Amino acid sequence: MLEKLKPYLFLAPAIVLLLVFTVIPMVYTLYLSFFDWNMISPTKEFVGLDNYINILTNDTTKKVIFNTFFYIVVLILFNCVITYIFAFIIGYVVKRFKGFYKVAFFIPSVISLVVGSILFTWILNPISGPVAIIGEMFGFSIPNWSKTDGLVIIVLSLIVSWKVFGYNFIVLYASVVGVSKEIIEAARLDNISNLRIFIDIVLPMSSATGFYILILTIVQGLQYVFTPIKVITQGGPNYGSSNLIYQAYHEAFVVYKTGQSAALAMITLLIFVILLLLEFLFVERRIYYENS
Amino acid sequence: MKTANYKNMILHIILISFILLTIYPIVFAISNSFKELSEAFTSTLSLIPEKFTLENYTGLFDSIPIVGITINTLITASVITVAKVATSFLAAYAIVYYQFKFKNVTYFALICTIFIPFTVTMIPNYLIISELGLQNNIWGVILPQMADAIGIFMLTQSMKGIPKSLIEAAKLDNIPTKYIMKDHILPMVKPAVTSTSIWFFILAWNEYVWPVLILKTTENFTLPLALQLYISSEGGTNFTVAMALSVITMAIPLGLYLIFQKHIINTFTTSGIK
Repeated sequence: MLEKLKPYLFLAPAIVLLLVFTVIPMVYTLYLSFFDWNMISPTKEFVGLDNYINILTNDTTKKVIFNTFFYIVVLILFNCVITYIFAFIIGYVVKRFKGFYKVAFFIPSVISLVVGSILFTWILNPISGPVAIIGEMFGFSIPNWSKTDGLVIIVLSLIVSWKVFGYNFIVLYASVVGVSKEIIEAARLDNISNLRIFIDIVLPMSSATGFYILILTIVQGLQYVFTPIKVITQGGPNYGSSNLIYQAYHEAFVVYKTGQSAALAMITLLIFVILLLLEFLFVERRIYYENS
Repeated sequence: MKTANYKNMILHIILISFILLTIYPIVFAISNSFKELSEAFTSTLSLIPEKFTLENYTGLFDSIPIVGITINTLITASVITVAKVATSFLAAYAIVYYQFKFKNVTYFALICTIFIPFTVTMIPNYLIISELGLQNNIWGVILPQMADAIGIFMLTQSMKGIPKSLIEAAKLDNIPTKYIMKDHILPMVKPAVTSTSIWFFILAWNEYVWPVLILKTTENFTLPLALQLYISSEGGTNFTVAMALSVITMAIPLGLYLIFQKHIINTFTTSGIK
């Protein structure tokens, strides 16, 4: 009898904590997204889908949604595409110092993003930063990136990429070197170029992990980018660097529009859920599974 | 063959330059934290301070309660780590060594929580913490972060690697469960437990998003929050002090990583998150 209860007993602490601080809050946020509220007032006014309609029609939030997709593209480029190429190079092209590269690449991953944000703010300072000084020697100047639309998103993504690169690299590396050595050796004997080996053999055979990293880059990357946005730009210039995550924070804790924030959060969640469903429907079935 | 070597050489040079670039911000912070402010501005590029000074560090002691802030960070990160690893260990043990109803669904649902963005939970959690009177208190930071499905996942992966027969034998011998855990399972999953702990500790140490909502006054801050006080890059009068505080903030995670790098890299390579 007691033996039967044990698994539930062991699961209880984790499940209770996750229910209280993750699952129930998620349901409550869904509920709040149908109300107009300011977090303090004793009454909440039911407004149906107004918060959602407002988000999808309002120019500011339209810009924020556009920015979110801009962030996604830049983050995928830095943290998936480039990382994949590095994993392949370390795995198959270079022969020595593999261990050293793995350890060295990971170093920035353990550093606080607040520290990273501050360091990059100084290093990339358009007037007195070291990059500007070196640039001046060669006759070019650094644009005022934190006030420039578009560029600000690229630089903030770069800060996040600096931190995330090492982790993504390790996971992709493990999967890339898991591809059967014989196949690669055979391809090499046939004089197939490294580029073709990468695209035709390694990429499809490690694609399950690749897709996992792709989703992680989007889900985590958008949340990670919150820190440099909050520390450096506060969403500016004129919402030019805000994304769905930062905007939800801004609505809730700066302008106290709880319903707007909740609706933004639910839209973010919806995007993430769609991504995961895509993985299950498409990837899990069709893609070559490394360990099967 | 010669050209292949030559090409390899160029690749190594590119890779090492890349590493130097990623390490540069760290070196930049350390070197400027030991410079005098005027020197930091006149010779920004030089990495070795001409006149070595500790005044940026001593200055920190005068301007903010840095000892208290460091202790806050240490307590927060330690408690979160112990709680997350303990709850994850128990949950993983139940999932790997018992058969029960809805096991796969439960595990799947737990893993799904990893993908819930923090904006979805922040308002309700903020209200809960306010209701409990834990605003501006590190316990308000700790409480919602005592369980983490990532830990359950990592420990489940590593426990699956232990032969089941070992546990069955111990169960037949009527060894109480807590000794099975302590004497049989724990030693075998120690590498995974160690690296999961280190990883959680580093994440909690660096945590910014949730504390920024909860902690309001300087004496209750953690290190990443204290750094905010030195952000204004416009003024620049605090630059070298900001660098000193950055160095203090990153010292512990960097140190832990350098000590446990083999463990951490191995766990992330083999846990095969898929």
